[in-house]
Amino acid sequence: MLGYIARRLVQMVGVVLISAVATYALLNLAPGGPMTGLRQQQQGRNRITAADIARIRAYYELDLYLPIRFSRWLIGHPRGSIEFGGYEWFANTPVGCRQPVEKNIRNEQGKIETKVVGCNEYVFLRDLEGRKVSRGILLGDFGSSWKLLRDRPVSDLIISRLPKTIELIGLSTLLSLFLGIPLGIYSAVKQYSRFDYIFTSLAFLGSAMPTFFFGILMILVFSILPKSAGLPYLPPGSASAVREYAVPLLGTIQPDTLADRLMHLVLPVITLTIVSVASWSRFIRASMLEVLRQDYVRTARAKGLKEKMVILKHALRNALIPFVTIVVFSIPSLFGGAIITETIFSWPGMGRLYFLALGDSDFPVAMAILFITAVLTVIATLIRDLVYTVIDPRIRYS
Amino acid sequence: MKRVNLVWMLLIAVSLVMSACQPVVETIEVEKEVVKTEVVEKIVEVEKEPSEVLSFSTPHPILSDVRVRQAMAYCTNKDEIIQAVYPFLSPAERSELVMDTFIPKNHWAYAGDGNITIYPFDPDKGKALLDEAGWTDEDEDNVRLNAEGEPLMLELLLTEAPHRKILAPVWQQQMKACGIRITVNHVPSTWLYGDTTGLARREFELTDYAWVGQSDPSGRTLYACDQIPTAENNWEGQNVMGWCNPVASQAIVKATNTLNQEDRKEPYKIVQQEFTKDMVSLPIYNHLEIFASNPNLKGFNPQPGEEYYTYNVADWEIPGKDTIVIGFTQEPASMFALVEQGVSAIIANSLVHGLAFSTVNYDFQGIAQKVPSTLDSGLAQNLDVEVKEGDLVYDVDGNPTELKPGVEVYNASGDVVTFDGTPILMKQLTVNYQFRDDMVWSDGTPVSAADFDLRFRIDCDENSGATSFNTCRSIQSYEVNDSGYTVTYLPGVQDPLYFRALMDPRLSNVYPAHRTLADGRKLADVPAEEWATLPEIAEFPIGVGPYVLKEWVKGEKMVFEANPYYYGGAPKTKTIVISIITPDNAEAQLLGGQVDVLDSTTLNTISDTMRKAADEGKINLYTLPGGTWEHIDMNLYLP
Repeated sequence: MLGYIARRLVQMVGVVLISAVATYALLNLAPGGPMTGLRQQQQGRNRITAADIARIRAYYELDLYLPIRFSRWLIGHPRGSIEFGGYEWFANTPVGCRQPVEKNIRNEQGKIETKVVGCNEYVFLRDLEGRKVSRGILLGDFGSSWKLLRDRPVSDLIISRLPKTIELIGLSTLLSLFLGIPLGIYSAVKQYSRFDYIFTSLAFLGSAMPTFFFGILMILVFSILPKSAGLPYLPPGSASAVREYAVPLLGTIQPDTLADRLMHLVLPVITLTIVSVASWSRFIRASMLEVLRQDYVRTARAKGLKEKMVILKHALRNALIPFVTIVVFSIPSLFGGAIITETIFSWPGMGRLYFLALGDSDFPVAMAILFITAVLTVIATLIRDLVYTVIDPRIRYS
Repeated sequence: MKRVNLVWMLLIAVSLVMSACQPVVETIEVEKEVVKTEVVEKIVEVEKEPSEVLSFSTPHPILSDVRVRQAMAYCTNKDEIIQAVYPFLSPAERSELVMDTFIPKNHWAYAGDGNITIYPFDPDKGKALLDEAGWTDEDEDNVRLNAEGEPLMLELLLTEAPHRKILAPVWQQQMKACGIRITVNHVPSTWLYGDTTGLARREFELTDYAWVGQSDPSGRTLYACDQIPTAENNWEGQNVMGWCNPVASQAIVKATNTLNQEDRKEPYKIVQQEFTKDMVSLPIYNHLEIFASNPNLKGFNPQPGEEYYTYNVADWEIPGKDTIVIGFTQEPASMFALVEQGVSAIIANSLVHGLAFSTVNYDFQGIAQKVPSTLDSGLAQNLDVEVKEGDLVYDVDGNPTELKPGVEVYNASGDVVTFDGTPILMKQLTVNYQFRDDMVWSDGTPVSAADFDLRFRIDCDENSGATSFNTCRSIQSYEVNDSGYTVTYLPGVQDPLYFRALMDPRLSNVYPAHRTLADGRKLADVPAEEWATLPEIAEFPIGVGPYVLKEWVKGEKMVFEANPYYYGGAPKTKTIVISIITPDNAEAQLLGGQVDVLDSTTLNTISDTMRKAADEGKINLYTLPGGTWEHIDMNLYLP
């Protein structure tokens, strides 16, 4: 078993590295990027010269070749010429281009394309000395934000959002488990009962309803309408209030108190929970139905076991195996957040942060989130495989 | 089985690494090969007739005909477009938004209805022009053909912004009614406004976008002949239509290089006459700026021409409440305004630093700056100076240049002359900017000359992280004193906005030189490259403005408390909170009473719910004609 885990850990490192290369390359090769719109600022007083553009390119490290940039992001190197045995090595190796030579070439469609065909002024390895660089994401340094928190550490941003996301997603995941599993089991055991029909229809509705629609509906029904009707209402969004507010029956609620935070949690948590309960319980129901038809369940019943015992001990345990896969993969979302729900309720979580980082081309922030999510995903996979052995004694790893 | 998996993984890994390295390989190594095989052939062609191959020199077969362009203007029903975009406006409000030239009707530089060509909605006139231009629709299928049987088809590029999704089909139908077939292509804004794509490379036939209005109409980079981006000039300029009208070009240069507002009206009139006659860019409408507020909020008064609606924040109050909440859908990235100049960040900064002046209704109104430093007030002088070879001057393109034979400059009488080595006379501006004497930092220290000096040193330091140094590069020398500074500009600098405090954005123009950092250093001793990373600058700056930033919970809120030392007197409200919300949640927060103010960066349109709430008196709505204007540019040339 230990050998298995060790082997898996090595594989995991490989997978994370590959995904890091892939996401980094995709982000950087996609059109757009941090320089977008700069030329549009040329009006009036803010005209930008070619020298300004070169300086801004250097700020975003766009003057370095992609593998060099990647390596600096990953491990914080190279950061200057390599000193070894009293000599400086590779000091004059070009690692980037400060002033690319561009040629305008007419392509087959008759459009003019600008191609980089050479370099007027190279950036050499020795030029990297003194340039600002992080210690590398592998050593836990996510670098500085480009746009969202200009020049301040990415970790500040993540730390400010993470607790809020864990609070929201954690609560709704727990609630979904507590509600989803029993509902699914009950529905399977009482298949084709009135409860099953009603519940299955509701679950279909719940999983078919887009979160953004559902969220807005909740705000309207539980916040805006009751407030204007003078009834008790819930706050329409944000994680806490900024000033005291009065709610009929509940009295005045002070900002940032437990009551205030709970009030703000209710709507987003319910929105997220309903969607997960709907899909998870349907999943449990289907997998329970499959198991309940198996011979060994009939055997268990035939040998006179109590129905409760048959269902909870014999059937459920096997029905849970596929379900574990789904649940375990909600671990990364504890970190990644729920983009749509967070947006609708102004929840200051990771999902919104990621969305903003992509929109603003703040690659250090987006990459940090992608990287951590990748790490969590491979960890979740490992946990899943280990949990299998606990649920199903037939599964053994060697 | 497992081995096969491993091989696959390795293959994927290798291919990923290869793909990541590809562009680099291309730029360094393949370079020679490319030049040898493909490009050399084309370069030979280039040498034969360089202008023909590379520049936009082939007139567009359809759009180069002025009759077609004018016909499109006659066929455009601007009122219908505005009604589609802003369905809640009355006809009178709609007509206020119509644009007929590049300057709004209520602006001092507007030429007047009688002085420009106005194209009223008149499809018959448009159709007649098209017939005349040889585009006829004999089979009446609403697609006109020319003599060769080619259809009158054009492609319209525009972004996916909601109002453009509404505008495009409406205009498409209007054109169809005149027999012009428009294919609409919505493209990502990153492509259209990209550094090397879209507008920057003139990759369009027709394109609809908006220029962000400025309090000064400028226009030099948009309409002058030397501002047409081409491959040869390294894509400099914003005259993407490729419009070169010598009369208009000279006039726009003059209009943007004259100090006296009265003297600028005539050249602006000429540009507008030519601009509307040639119809290279079809103006449609001014964007509406929408604000909404708690109906009990007093003092809140957003005005046209002033985008920083907090200019009078010290007067805001909600009777019975000590906190006002402003909803922001964009969180400031930093409180260091030099590196973060988004409107939201400047609004937040204006609370801490206060504005130097306001531009309500496009007019100067002093706040921290006492009076406009105009020539009439005696605070500014525009003298003739003799310049000789080697002097740093502004050339006709507005670039600081060392004077040597061949350089074109404006001489003292305003004519373009080519320097030939003999000294000439040029205009040189010297302006004294005066600020209030009672400016005190929120820690109680009075503002001193060192604070003004620090502002110059940091803002003009290339390591500060700022984007543009145009203002700094136009300065020959400056002197500071305890209540302001005197700037001597380079000979040739004739910026029409010279009378305004020059630090951009227009915050207080001072940095607290005396402030001690956590590590014991004085702010004045910290090198510029560190400034953007300093918490004392980026997160908790001190200022001379009406409020002090007390708390900033990232992603949630910024809490500002009244500054007891504010020179304008104690603000009426003790606490201002900026609450960071999402656009999708903003209206609900306003209707739910969690925020008191939503600004135009959040509100793009007025929903039915908002309109109803405003009718019932639950919120106040403000709609102002903004300076940003939507227009359709026509590319006169093929690439």
